[in-house]
Amino acid sequence: MIIKTDRLILRAPQPSDFDAYAAFVADPRSAMTGGPMERPAAWRSFATELGHWTIRGYGLMTVLEKGSDKIVGQVGFWYPEGWPEVELGWRLFGGFEGKGLATEAATELLNYAATTLGWAPMISVIAPGNARSIKLAERLGAKLERSDWKTPSGKPTLIYRHAWAAGHICIQKAATA
Amino acid sequence: MTPIPVIETERLRLRCPEMRDFDAYAAFRTSDRAAFVGGPNTRTQAFDKLGEIIGHWHLRGYGRWMVADKSTDEALGVVGLFYPDDWPEPEIAWSVFEAAEGRGVAFEAAMAARSYAFDVLGWETAISCTEHGNTKSQALAERMGAKRENDFVTVDGLKLHVYRHPKEAA
Repeated sequence: MIIKTDRLILRAPQPSDFDAYAAFVADPRSAMTGGPMERPAAWRSFATELGHWTIRGYGLMTVLEKGSDKIVGQVGFWYPEGWPEVELGWRLFGGFEGKGLATEAATELLNYAATTLGWAPMISVIAPGNARSIKLAERLGAKLERSDWKTPSGKPTLIYRHAWAAGHICIQKAATA
Repeated sequence: MTPIPVIETERLRLRCPEMRDFDAYAAFRTSDRAAFVGGPNTRTQAFDKLGEIIGHWHLRGYGRWMVADKSTDEALGVVGLFYPDDWPEPEIAWSVFEAAEGRGVAFEAAMAARSYAFDVLGWETAISCTEHGNTKSQALAERMGAKRENDFVTVDGLKLHVYRHPKEAA
């Protein structure tokens, strides 16, 4: 599965993405998305993300900058056990913030969920202190739906519900728990 | 990635883990039986670990299989080749679920995994790590002809005995 946007290439993760992944999750900035982690924990976590594709049939994609092929971050569909439903998740790695790249990747995948997969409007699960992600969710047109759900490990969250643009036809409901 | 190969033994089928195995795997990971393999865990952690087993195949080109009963396809355990980032070297690893206890399932599957490592992958050597106090696992390593060497402490603080397998036995 490869999706191209104006500035980005979204593709399934590959083993060679691991170094960029490990560098990101080692950074304290990753605290809002499950980090920081040392390399052994990062390796297992990356393996889990690869395996999620086989188990669920979808997962987090690696986002590359067109031209340079630099890894910009991750965006994709994430549905671990205990989550209320499948979510759209994103992580932007260091050095690529402030260019609208996460917006561009997330917009593309929301379109893909609505039109190709035929899913109902989906959620994003965001840590309450993650101001950048909250801003991005709002820019994408998502609305805060609940703030009382905690992750299975007990972390508080904000659940945003995306809105589909006019013209999207939903032929089936999003996968639910 | 290389597709996960299927291996059949007298009573077992070693195959790719799938979502339909999750309940059996989660029952194991959330039980006291998982105490010697870093557990017990929550169901959410069990789901992540099931994914990790599959992702390991992507990252290393080999990994652990879901061991299923050849006739019923019931999931009986997780056995195979394991080499996470912090391990001293690749190992042959086994865990069997309660339903498989006392039937020689771990031995049969671990012998098949060892043959795969030596004969198909061409490994020169192989270890198995068992946690201190896990006498059942240590008995299995010895039954396979492995000899105890040194100890190894994981980043999570698990204390493991390292056993070395004999290559000529393959």
